[in-house]
Amino acid sequence: MFGLIGHSTSFEDAKRKASLLGFDHIADGDLDVWCTAPPQLVENVEVKSATGISIEGSYIDSCFVPEMLSRFKTARRKVLNAMELAQKKGINITALGGFTSIIFENFNLLQHKQIRNTSLEWERFTTGNTHTAWVICKQLEINAPRIGIDLKKATVAVIGATGDIGSAVCRWLINKTGISELLMVARQQEPLALLQKELDGGTITSLDEALPQADIVVWVASMPKTIEIDTDNLKKPCLMIDGGYPKNLDEKFQGENIHVLKGGIVEFFHDIGWNMMELAEMQNPQREMFACFAEAMILEFEKCHTNFSWGRNNISLEKMEFIGAASLKHGFSAIGLDKQSKVLTV
Amino acid sequence: MHNEVKITVMQTLESNKKTTQQSPASISLNLPDFTTDSYKDAYSRINAIVIEGEQEAHDNYISIATLIPNELEELTKLARMEMKHKKGFTACGRNLGVEADMEFAKKFFSKLHGNFQIALKKGNLTTCLLIQAILIEAFAISAYNVYIRVADPFAKKITEGVVKDEYLHLNYGQEWLKENLSTCKEELMEANKVNLPLIKKMLDEVADDASVLAMDREELMEEFMIAYQDTLMEIGLDNREIARMAMAAIV
Repeated sequence: MFGLIGHSTSFEDAKRKASLLGFDHIADGDLDVWCTAPPQLVENVEVKSATGISIEGSYIDSCFVPEMLSRFKTARRKVLNAMELAQKKGINITALGGFTSIIFENFNLLQHKQIRNTSLEWERFTTGNTHTAWVICKQLEINAPRIGIDLKKATVAVIGATGDIGSAVCRWLINKTGISELLMVARQQEPLALLQKELDGGTITSLDEALPQADIVVWVASMPKTIEIDTDNLKKPCLMIDGGYPKNLDEKFQGENIHVLKGGIVEFFHDIGWNMMELAEMQNPQREMFACFAEAMILEFEKCHTNFSWGRNNISLEKMEFIGAASLKHGFSAIGLDKQSKVLTV
Repeated sequence: MHNEVKITVMQTLESNKKTTQQSPASISLNLPDFTTDSYKDAYSRINAIVIEGEQEAHDNYISIATLIPNELEELTKLARMEMKHKKGFTACGRNLGVEADMEFAKKFFSKLHGNFQIALKKGNLTTCLLIQAILIEAFAISAYNVYIRVADPFAKKITEGVVKDEYLHLNYGQEWLKENLSTCKEELMEANKVNLPLIKKMLDEVADDASVLAMDREELMEEFMIAYQDTLMEIGLDNREIARMAMAAIV
């Protein structure tokens, strides 16, 4: 069995969905009630791979909402309780979606192994970041030429380069794509210097300097709400890949020849028959999902029951190639700029 | 953080082992000062509630046995275990030099106690089990789970032992209700509507004292809802039925 731990994109949204699902006690509650709500296993699904293998899985809503981010203890409990529920249900491999893995990583939840009478087994969980990083790289490779960007001549900026996904993307771009130049932007300078040393390439720069030079910008850091960007200074054409969470780049970058692509989203080859991605506001909720969720499915298809993506900066090229090949084999493809044309199967 | 930027191929389980071997000291966060007057004052009421709760549990299981005489042996065993817990918690208070405020505790349980007695007189076994084996046990387990994280070392050890037993009681009530769900569902729902709000009130009433012991109201409520939901799920109720029952906690 695979599991997906997700949450709503806002408190208002969460209440609306709870009402649809018949969870009236929390649908009518205020934020305090939600802070005390247990995680909910809301859906069981069966998914059939392109190879014909069938697997079963469950979607667990942690009852976390982004409004709880400022409540450190609450956020921590939401994540750990959802993980405990997944383990108690006997799920082999569960992906930590949305803010779940970010909270796990940033609040250092590794030290909270014991939850009530359950000792969490980390090998049952994956951040899904390896697949997300691979999908973002594929989206870049496929979509840039389609809007007239020649990868061999392209300058690519990675914003959030030292994060788990960001560093993996940098590693892939340097070693696998032959791009002209890699600009690396991150808040912390010391890890950035280490990354540069490891890659033996890439230029460390600031956001302000990077944006006017870049043909392609990969955003894998959450963008500060206050940021002001002058789209006149951007190169045209320019490909923006929104790999962060939540996906809000299109609000900032509107203009001719600026192409914003939702990063790290995949499409399955047939309808899944679940309701959950409707809740995650996917455009085609029967087929689209976060690549991190798809990673749990892929690992279950492959019977690879291990915490494939875990910790920070453990994503190697070999792992990206492994998950990428398995992703294609089982029927996933990265979504592109014009997914209606269906030319984007990677 | 910086030394983590080393890259190793296929690093998964192995890397975790290293990270999880952090010092256990980092796990117990922000313990309160157990020696202050304010701590002891709050403890005198919380400790009394726990002692009284275990006594009530003992008495309730003995009473329940009068309704299902063929379970007498099993229920007597449970009742005896509750008395053992009571002794353990009494020792916790003594260890801190605190005298439990038993008068407060009796009043604290009086409404729930009254409802149990009425149900018992009427022979309403389902209601008795809901009050004792679901609500009181879930209340106790949630409180103990939260307390373990912030208790003094002596009390922590005792509470850990108690929690193990308490999970057994929950199972006992579950089993009977599960087997008889088709005939007892309606009574279960009705009894819940009356008694779940009492639990919520009791939690609110004790919240200030609990916070002096570094036990968070929000966390207590959440732990309760988890234990409560787990039990109802085990009994065989579906998500919507559980949602409808839990509704009684917020009105």
